[in-house]
Amino acid sequence: MTEMRDGNGLATAEKLYTQYGSRARELKAAGKKIIGYLSALGPVEIMTAAGVVPFRLKGNVSEAISKGDAYMESIVCPFVRNVFDLAVKGKYDFLDGMVLPHQCDSIDRTNETWSYTLKLPYWHFLNVPHVTGDPSITFMKEILRIFIGTLEKFTGTKITDEAIAAAVKAHNENRKLMRDLYDLRKSNPPAISGTEMMKVLVAAMSLPVEESSALIKAVTNEVKAKGAAANGKGKRIMIIGDQIDDVAIIDAIESTGACLVMDDLSLGAKMYWQDVDATPDPLQGIAERYLRKLKIPTTFVGSADTYAGILEERFGHMKKYVNEFKVDGVILFIYKYCDPYGFEVPAIKSFIESAGTPVLYLEDEYSTSSLARVKTRIEAFLEMIA
Amino acid sequence: MAEEKKGRAVATSTAASIPKFVRGNLSATLKAKEEGKKVAAAFIADGQDEIMRAMDIVPAWGESYSGVCSAKRQAEPYLQKAESDNFSRSLCTYATCNIGFDMIREEQGGTMPEGAPWGGMARPDMILGNGQLLCDPRFKWPQATQHYLQDVPVFVTNMYYPPWDPNIDHHEQEPIYVKYITEELRETVKFCEKITGKKMDWDRLAATVELSDKTWDLFIDTYELRKHIPTPMDTGDAMNTMVPLTFNLGTQEAYDFYVNLNAELKQKIADGVGVADPEKYRVIWAAGLPSWFALGDFQYFNGKGVVFPVEVTYRGCEKIERLDLPKTNDPLEHIAWRWVRYWTHWYDAAKKRSGSTPKVERIIEYIEDYKCDGAVFHSAFSCRSWHAGIMQQAATLKNVYKDIPILIMEGDIVDISSYNEADTHNRIDAFIETLAAYKKRQG
Ligand code: SF4
Ligand code: SF4
Repeated sequence: MTEMRDGNGLATAEKLYTQYGSRARELKAAGKKIIGYLSALGPVEIMTAAGVVPFRLKGNVSEAISKGDAYMESIVCPFVRNVFDLAVKGKYDFLDGMVLPHQCDSIDRTNETWSYTLKLPYWHFLNVPHVTGDPSITFMKEILRIFIGTLEKFTGTKITDEAIAAAVKAHNENRKLMRDLYDLRKSNPPAISGTEMMKVLVAAMSLPVEESSALIKAVTNEVKAKGAAANGKGKRIMIIGDQIDDVAIIDAIESTGACLVMDDLSLGAKMYWQDVDATPDPLQGIAERYLRKLKIPTTFVGSADTYAGILEERFGHMKKYVNEFKVDGVILFIYKYCDPYGFEVPAIKSFIESAGTPVLYLEDEYSTSSLARVKTRIEAFLEMIA
Repeated sequence: MAEEKKGRAVATSTAASIPKFVRGNLSATLKAKEEGKKVAAAFIADGQDEIMRAMDIVPAWGESYSGVCSAKRQAEPYLQKAESDNFSRSLCTYATCNIGFDMIREEQGGTMPEGAPWGGMARPDMILGNGQLLCDPRFKWPQATQHYLQDVPVFVTNMYYPPWDPNIDHHEQEPIYVKYITEELRETVKFCEKITGKKMDWDRLAATVELSDKTWDLFIDTYELRKHIPTPMDTGDAMNTMVPLTFNLGTQEAYDFYVNLNAELKQKIADGVGVADPEKYRVIWAAGLPSWFALGDFQYFNGKGVVFPVEVTYRGCEKIERLDLPKTNDPLEHIAWRWVRYWTHWYDAAKKRSGSTPKVERIIEYIEDYKCDGAVFHSAFSCRSWHAGIMQQAATLKNVYKDIPILIMEGDIVDISSYNEADTHNRIDAFIETLAAYKKRQG
């Protein structure tokens, strides 16, 4: 890895972003095992405890699908298809295995397409429940134990409770550091641009946890050292969605003079806002984080007595972000064929708008081919809220 | 809709009684209020049938109603209504059609949308979802509906089964799943008790579950009569005869329906009557929900001597004895075991054939048992649940079994804009030519 020095955090993030997977490749050459995952449900604590490198797979919006369509239907989430296509083309040939948590139909129903096509030495489908009651927590712990068993068999090393507790600590620390960096977006203008932030988020998910933490720290110090800029005039935007892992859409927003100051994305706030509680049985805290604390649409919540209460449970965090980061407008960016997010568009939109913040809903493919159209809509939206 | 409605004439007279079933289910929701019963918006293959039946809860089947709207080619205004509030056209059209319908009914203060097919469907008192492995809309659709029916409580249970993994012994995992499902079902009962204000009659539940088991057995016995050459019934009819099993499980009417179907099929066999005359090719409907607006395509196949003696779709049951279920006095635990084993009982066979999967193993079993010459899949764009992974199944089937002719048709369940009859028929014709060449090669 490029040596981390003061002042080169952003440059390192940029490099890791553009040469995505380069560090994993080096680690693999040094004898490490690399396990890929696809979403915020990837249980990174367990992978770290197993001594393998958790590596989140990313797509490439500029690359047309050329091989994956021979194996996977075009009705699948465009992000999943794009990543699969890259994997088939060998972009991730350093992977020793993958874990696919049960997130949505697009992942669940293509599990065999992935595993039978890529034929990696290690494969696991982690059957994460969609509901959160007590029986589900017990069940979640059981399936985590099964996952641990398969990893132990694969690596030949026992995963002790102590190792899991240590990994929990390291990942909590990592999340806290990232939240500290997010704090620097609260100023006006934000001390770090949305594009830079996206690169850091992407880079961070391609590294072992300690290296990821070092990178985030370096970026934070660098950004702080840069000092505050003059008063910003650009509109402050938050983006909500799942698998946005590219700067293309962020550029489209920021090139109009607006600033992306916050997100509720699967590689962003969804990953970093919630810690694992240190519990006597470390799996208890992990199960509770992934099932009860993570705010993702594939986990059903609805225990409140009134509909307003239920909306608050589901989306209350979004309103909090709007207030804390002084957001002027929200872009809800959803991929075609994504049922989990697609079905909640009217609810999210009216929930946020009811608090006085305008929302632009965009449905798109995972591709730059439609970027011009998206940009026009974003520009019109920004003009409207100006 | 300008296009003319093309239905499909059923070959068995028992299947002709199906519209009565479907209408009966719809009107039961409308009559429920008068009878002091609660209506639950419910989803098929969700494992909650017996709980509802034993508690006199009337199921309102959204999927069924969207299917009806589709078959009558009247879904478009409802799809558009949903789209007007930002539901994407790429989402499950069963769900968006139904949500659009609910939105209109709600806006009209509860009056049915004008011209609602078959009188419409009633406003539910509760929504029972299931976050199972079958599909996302099974718990996202309830939430989306609640956005318009805000006072209607939603309960989502979770019923998983061990995922397929050739390197893991699923038998070891089954008890974990059964325990979890049983607890989830107990929570479902508690929720239903709260909404209905009535306690579960556990003896009645046990009797209902027993009746379901008997129906599963009779269904399979009846469908296995289709192994006969020529087959007395094909998938075109099965898309109708699945109704009692799928929507009326745990009722005497469902059981009696299969008694009648069984008798009719035996009579056809005795009389030597088949679906196609002559029957030239036997093909499995290997996966996919059909285009409800184009069921006439089955007749197109039949007219060319092609029959479907077996299908994977809507065959949501198995002979109970083949599942080897552990004994239990708890009807919920029995439902749980039946559920888990229904999905896992192809796993052992799949493990024996290198490179195979349970889904493919199931297809192979049917191809062998029903003497099929080819396989047809239908890929509906709006439902990932049944239709993502079909290419993988087709490829695996060729790799681990044999290079049989395969046709993957593309369309949708409800959205007619995806369909072109001339193209579909051309593809079917080309497939039949492949079948002919294949059969000739086989000798
Ligand atoms: S964007 Fe939607 S469909 Fe795609 S992986 Fe995320 S939840 Fe699944
Ligand atoms: S199985 Fe498919 S068609 Fe049925 S509700 Fe689910 S997504 Fe819709």
